[in-house]
Amino acid sequence: MAVHKRSYRAYEGALTPRWSRFLILTRYAAKGVFQSRIITGLFVISFFYPLLMIAGLYLNHNTQVLSMLKLASDQILVINGTFFLVLMTVQAAFAFLMTAFIGPNMIAPDLANNALPLYFCRPLSRTEYVTGRACVIFFVLSFITWIPGLLIFAIEGTLSGPAWAWDHRNFAFGIFIGSVLWLLLLTLIALAISAWVRWKLIAGALLLAVMFASSGFATAVNEILRVKAGFYLDPANLIAAIWARFFDVPIHTEMSITGAYAGIAVICGFCVLLLSRKIRAFEVVK
Amino acid sequence: MSADSQNIVFDNVSKFYGDVLGVNRVTLTIPPGITSLVGPNGSGKTTLMNLMTGLLQPTRGTIGVLGVSPNHPEQLFRQLGYCTQFDSFPRGFTGYQFVYSFLRLYGCTHAEAEEFTWAAIERVKLVEAAHRKIAGYSKGMRQRIKLAQSTCHGPSVLVLDEPLNGLDPLVRAEVIALLRSLAEEGMHIIISSHVLHEVDMISDQVVLLSNGYVIAEGKIRGVRGELDEQPMQVMIRCGKPASLAAKVFEHDSVVEARMHSDGKGLLVKTRDPDKFYLLLNQLALNGIGLESVVPADDDVNSLYEYLIGGEEPAR
Amino acid sequence: MKTLWFAQIAAILQLEMRKTFLSRRGLWVYLLALFPLIPFAGHSIESTIRGRPCDFGHDTNVYASIFQLLDLRVVVFFGCLGIFMNLFRGEVLDRSLHYYFLAPVRREILVVGKYLAGLIAAVTIFTTSTILQWIAMYAHFPSRTVLDYLNDGNGWSHLIAYAVTTVFACIGYGSLFLLTGALFRNPIFPAAGILIWEGINSFLPSILQKFSVIYYLKSLVPIDAQPNLEAPFALLTVNTDPVPAVVAIVGMLAFTLLVIVIAALQVRRMEINYGTD
Repeated sequence: MAVHKRSYRAYEGALTPRWSRFLILTRYAAKGVFQSRIITGLFVISFFYPLLMIAGLYLNHNTQVLSMLKLASDQILVINGTFFLVLMTVQAAFAFLMTAFIGPNMIAPDLANNALPLYFCRPLSRTEYVTGRACVIFFVLSFITWIPGLLIFAIEGTLSGPAWAWDHRNFAFGIFIGSVLWLLLLTLIALAISAWVRWKLIAGALLLAVMFASSGFATAVNEILRVKAGFYLDPANLIAAIWARFFDVPIHTEMSITGAYAGIAVICGFCVLLLSRKIRAFEVVK
Repeated sequence: MSADSQNIVFDNVSKFYGDVLGVNRVTLTIPPGITSLVGPNGSGKTTLMNLMTGLLQPTRGTIGVLGVSPNHPEQLFRQLGYCTQFDSFPRGFTGYQFVYSFLRLYGCTHAEAEEFTWAAIERVKLVEAAHRKIAGYSKGMRQRIKLAQSTCHGPSVLVLDEPLNGLDPLVRAEVIALLRSLAEEGMHIIISSHVLHEVDMISDQVVLLSNGYVIAEGKIRGVRGELDEQPMQVMIRCGKPASLAAKVFEHDSVVEARMHSDGKGLLVKTRDPDKFYLLLNQLALNGIGLESVVPADDDVNSLYEYLIGGEEPAR
Repeated sequence: MKTLWFAQIAAILQLEMRKTFLSRRGLWVYLLALFPLIPFAGHSIESTIRGRPCDFGHDTNVYASIFQLLDLRVVVFFGCLGIFMNLFRGEVLDRSLHYYFLAPVRREILVVGKYLAGLIAAVTIFTTSTILQWIAMYAHFPSRTVLDYLNDGNGWSHLIAYAVTTVFACIGYGSLFLLTGALFRNPIFPAAGILIWEGINSFLPSILQKFSVIYYLKSLVPIDAQPNLEAPFALLTVNTDPVPAVVAIVGMLAFTLLVIVIAALQVRRMEINYGTD
């Protein structure tokens, strides 16, 4: 049959820059995240504690309220390393819960529905695919971890004066770097589990299991073998040790900082290895 | 034996998925033989099949399959087999294990299950691949093993959702022959298909669906005969089509006559086929040489076009 | 009819075992069950190699603590979560549930069959793990000491009690997760809720404590652990208001029966609509 009409024209307009093309995945994946009312509700609830702390900071510096309550300025809230450590811990717990609900939706559905070949037959590399998916978790969790943390630090710095902020600048570094490390750990573990377990249902349960089991296992190792090295098996303890150093808070685990960083690096490396094994454009059936 | 115990009966059945209509007020009686469900995507074919097999519950109405309600699976599935559209299987199973394992649910002993399994696998010509994992099968092989699983227990009602999907022409012909032979044994076979010329070939009756409603049902020719608003098209091959055209136009019932591109045929549209055929007989007796007279739109394709093709897409 | 039901249940058991527990897919259950064995085995090997004398009483206490903290709250909990939640939700995700619904099996029989399959697998795997851990814990002690404990002490009764507690943990958590898998499209939310509820059980008022599986399991454990654990973990092993073992057993069996009935009713009404999952 002769083709007598050529009406198709290739797109000749502007293209998304190559370096930011992975964000397309992030944009579409992020749309689906807040369609769940439970996830949205959890996201909102995770702001309660920072808001409460902000209110506390305000009251701490409100001389009228303080005189009414007959309290000194540091008696409502003591703003020290422990304060920020507790804030980070609470927000980290919410971040973990959010990851358990968001993480499984990232890769498992694509694997279950054989969608990876569709992605990789386009100019999208495996690294871009994983990065695009990781960014969803990272961006959402940033809103409940280091962003409110730094905001609280900024508010306290504003209320107490720049000298306080300068003297305690390690807190700001700790909030940011500590949160980023925790988010990186959570993101990689969630993505690795989501890639290895095709069912998002099981991936969520497995993420919970990995965190709780590692904690219980670490305690069991310490109790049975009468050592302290078991704590290196628990990601939560590794992060806690790093945070404790940032905020100058003593910690019971007696873990070395180098060991903690090494432990996190090993876990992240292992997760990257799992992802590289599973994120492929083809499937081998045995 | 009541008529209901020999037929599949839908009585004013409706199914809504929330606000979305699946099927609405469907009243059907499906007799033995091959019945095809025809309609565009989203018209309700699979919904009807899932309703009659109990995979869905009707929002309203009742269904009876040879007198048995789909709410009694322990009775129903002894006589019904359903080859669904889902291209998914229990993980890690070989073809043999897939058929055998579910056959044991019928209460068969090991020996019985093994015998029926191999019989079903041989019928679909998958003996060499029976001990391979289904995950490694081609699409056609997966379709055939599903067919084997749905027929292995010797049902008297077979429901097949697009059974020819993914099959090569040779296997399609074999499956069609198999279905024909099963229908001749008195089975009820309900098929949904988009391949209309095959529906034409194998079906005894057809049910046309659109947007969840039954548009027409019955034998193909019977349905066509009731479409008064669509004049019947008849293709006549003859040596002098122009002369024939002039003659037929004298008849009131002829609304259109079009020359075939090769100049040796005439396509006539008539509102009264019976009178037109009488006219043709007279013309033939009067010396007009007619080589062949064939109805041109007496098939499922034309029914689809007339009844469904002009409507808006379902979803 | 009953013969047919038993045959169908046997067929379902065979199907589930082949599909899940005797395939690579079920490997995670075995790994989860065996991983607590590692520190016990390590302890025995290390004590044997170093010739370091251990305190029998202290090791017994440690075993009791770890059994409650790790075995019940982590291993059996998550093991049952994975096994029982998948009995129906997993089939829906795999798009293979319709094969069961298209067989001449009453849906109630299907629920019973699947539950039994999960229970048999869970009980076998986790009870074996409990017993292996117990053996590993005491393997480095002189045989005389162990035999004295078994024959003259409460060794056998303790071992049986640990095994029975594991069995009832599988029964209790199994029925709970069977129900969540049948009721909820995404059971991970209620599972997380149950995890938190079981975790804070020790901190709840007495009346609320009774609404949990771990409360009754703690009453079946033979030894009240004297934990050397860190503060929050220590509280998890303390039983401030124990109930008699008979009450715990009967209660859990009654609960299981109720759950199976509810699950059966739910499955009876279940429709196959994979597109929404």
